[in-house]
Amino acid sequence: MSEAVQPFTTIGHVTPRVDAIARVTGQARYTNDLKLPGMLYARVLRSPHPHARIRHIDTREAARLPGVRAVITHENAQVVWGAGAVAGGRQYSDAIKEITRQRRYIFNNPVRCVGDAVAAVAATDRHIAEQALALIQIDYELLPFVLEPEAALAADAPRIWPEGNLCLDVHNQAAPVVAEHGDLAAGFAAAEQVFEQRYDTGFVHNAQLEPRCALAHWQGETLTLYTPTQGIANCRHDMARDLGLEDQHVRVVCHYMGGGFGNKNQNQDADLIAAILARHTNAPVMLEYTRRDDWLGMHGRWPTVQQYTVGVKHDGTVTAIQLIGFSGMGPYRKNAGGIGGLELYACPNRSRSLSPVYTNRTTSGNFRAPSEPHGVFGIESIMDDIAYTLGMDPVAFTFKNMLRPTAEQPFTNYSLDACIQMGVEQFGWQARRNVIAGSDAGPIKRGAGFSFMMFRAALGMSSAIVQVDARQRYTLFVGVTDVGPGAKTTMGMIAAEALGVPLSQVEVVSGDTDRCPYSVGESGSRTTIMTGMAVVEAVKDLQQQIAARGMPTGDDILIASATPSPTIEGKMRQCFGAHFVEVEVDTRLGTTRIIKYVAIHESGRIINPQTARDQIRGAVIQGIGQALHEDLLYDPASGQPLTTGYYRARHLTHLDVPTIEVHFLEVDDGYGPFGAKTVGESGIILAPAAVANAIFNATGKRMTSLPITRDKLLGAMA
Amino acid sequence: MGDTSAGSSSPQEGHPTAPSHRTGLEGAGLTPAATASAMTAPSRTAISLTVNGVRHRVTVEDRWTLVGLLRDHLDLTGTKIGCDRSECGACTVLMDGKPVYACCQLAVWADGADVHTVEGLAHDGRLTPLQQAFIDHNAPQCGFCTPGQLMTATALLHTVPRPDAAQVKQALVGVLCRCSNYNAIVEAVVAAGAQQGGAA
Repeated sequence: MSEAVQPFTTIGHVTPRVDAIARVTGQARYTNDLKLPGMLYARVLRSPHPHARIRHIDTREAARLPGVRAVITHENAQVVWGAGAVAGGRQYSDAIKEITRQRRYIFNNPVRCVGDAVAAVAATDRHIAEQALALIQIDYELLPFVLEPEAALAADAPRIWPEGNLCLDVHNQAAPVVAEHGDLAAGFAAAEQVFEQRYDTGFVHNAQLEPRCALAHWQGETLTLYTPTQGIANCRHDMARDLGLEDQHVRVVCHYMGGGFGNKNQNQDADLIAAILARHTNAPVMLEYTRRDDWLGMHGRWPTVQQYTVGVKHDGTVTAIQLIGFSGMGPYRKNAGGIGGLELYACPNRSRSLSPVYTNRTTSGNFRAPSEPHGVFGIESIMDDIAYTLGMDPVAFTFKNMLRPTAEQPFTNYSLDACIQMGVEQFGWQARRNVIAGSDAGPIKRGAGFSFMMFRAALGMSSAIVQVDARQRYTLFVGVTDVGPGAKTTMGMIAAEALGVPLSQVEVVSGDTDRCPYSVGESGSRTTIMTGMAVVEAVKDLQQQIAARGMPTGDDILIASATPSPTIEGKMRQCFGAHFVEVEVDTRLGTTRIIKYVAIHESGRIINPQTARDQIRGAVIQGIGQALHEDLLYDPASGQPLTTGYYRARHLTHLDVPTIEVHFLEVDDGYGPFGAKTVGESGIILAPAAVANAIFNATGKRMTSLPITRDKLLGAMA
Repeated sequence: MGDTSAGSSSPQEGHPTAPSHRTGLEGAGLTPAATASAMTAPSRTAISLTVNGVRHRVTVEDRWTLVGLLRDHLDLTGTKIGCDRSECGACTVLMDGKPVYACCQLAVWADGADVHTVEGLAHDGRLTPLQQAFIDHNAPQCGFCTPGQLMTATALLHTVPRPDAAQVKQALVGVLCRCSNYNAIVEAVVAAGAQQGGAA
């Protein structure tokens, strides 16, 4: 049940991060800051072609270069990177190993995109390693390539895999992902007007500021891997599986990392390449990616094509929704390729057919709310169009059609109405919105748009250990690495609150699989909920021990661990949100400026108001970048990527960024640690939709292609 | 320089004929020319520079960047490399008081220079008001751009004691933050300026 939220002692108060001093003094050691005695440096050679077979690879001259200690290619290092494809990671199970034919290796032949790794060198010096790359001679047989998902599904398209270009799923089947509810035909029959629109969204690189790197070191049969990862436990298990080791012979360490937003979970091929070079050379190996390596060798949000057909009655009731979607996954299906959004609507007659498709572009993968911002942009663009065509306020249209709890599907709590209403008031929706889109005289046209969401806040399994010593100092062991949201601090605050002690009496140990229990990994908006629950349960266990045996004395400690796997008994547990945006579009230049941005979020009880607010603000700004600028353009004639890097993809700078106003609606639904839900991904989901709707309201032109760059706006207004 | 392989229609990644700032320097006459296949010892120059108030005399390879000198040879890893090609600003340090991208300064150009990095901000463990403001306003998220933001803001506060938000954004435009914690960073710098009137 929801209750009005009263502040606790520690939780709910602005709290500086426990490691803040290290971060502002340069003392925080990131992976590339580490040095081990005798450490070698490694570089990766990448394919210059979008699709090619390696006929012959000659590494002899490279290997002879003084200072070079190892050169590896697909010929002498054939290792499957399980997490790199076919819904990998823990799902690259023994069962799927039996049936799959589409394996992703650390070095693949044929190479299937510009940037696909073909070789790696370890040398005593970075410069020598780079020179050695240049001495590797490769005879490529060029193959035809295809860059767009719909073209890749044509009958005569070049085959990226022998089985065709529709991606395989975890059952090794090539089939669109279909979800159907109700009776679509009946829904369209009941409609009084039918709308159709096609949208496309670009590839958005995760673009974290820390380029990929990995430091691998063997001691006997035990591997220690220092790597920037969001999930040390997942990474360890993946490394063990891929190298044929037991988990306990792999140690993964990450104390600080420079962002990831979803491309640093599980293990990455960089980790495997470093480990193999380290084994070949019997020395620690530091593999470093250049910024271009990272752009082409890591991943970004899948580009999509979305075809919507929506049936509606004249009173605004939506009777049928159909989505036919395509996701460009690159040559390997590293992650799901989902397109969310339909589930926001109550319409009982819905159909989504989603085809994840192989293309010869760089790999697509998870980026903050992986299935959401592009899908929400699609569906809320067409619904916004419908509202304006019917002469309805989009807010009223949304209230009429958004999903609400039912007897069959209860929620733990529901506050979408309240979020939208709060936004209407805080933003000044009625004053800022044009009733007729595009009615502003210009040449600088103002307008306002809004979008709304629900997002998973589900419970799940994770672990925590807490101990106390004779001086009543508590130590919390959690397998988090703190990618930026401040998980170390959040977990410490939860422990402090549960223990009834100040945060200063709790030390948080994290980032090392040798010391920390399993954590689900900081992705998917799960750490606060799942690892936080484990912290609460571990503290309860410790308090029971203290009650039974008293505080420890001398050198004794008491120690408790918990691995809860809570459920929500069939209810839906969601976060809720609504974003309202006002823009100015200069119709002469095609530029868009954001004047006001209000983000309303209900994310349960907020543990740390400051880090929570900045998670939303940061995610919103990333979403604005997706809406207006970021893409990875390819030359269709050569298959070469054109906009690799920050300058070319036009990432937002200080001068581009408006002040984001964030309001949290706090409730405690009785689940999660102290009623906390999740904040990490929510902020990005609505920005592209809200900005696009604001641009429509300002100009009267519906922009159906992300990013909404100047050339597209000028073209629409011509 | 090296052979192109038969059958490939474009230069390989990392091929010497592909332009890089290192090989480009050879054409500019700033390093001795190296022959294609002979691996000559890299040329070196003795330099003297001050880093965080400490004088260093060091022999550097002519091809080293300033950020490479700081991180690899002076054990000052607080300055980060985000792109190594002057588009992100993570590597910003102060050179004779001005913010520069250390990835695009050759180490030899720092001969005689007075360099300041993030490690040199605090004195005797006392944080500067700017560093404290970063903590108070949650300015570091992942923390990777934080040294670059701090050094650029330090230079700003020396010249504009109480900058407003617009001035802060203008001065820090060259340092990207992908966590996009821009709002908090600006708030921290404005607060530091307001509190101390510029003593950083």
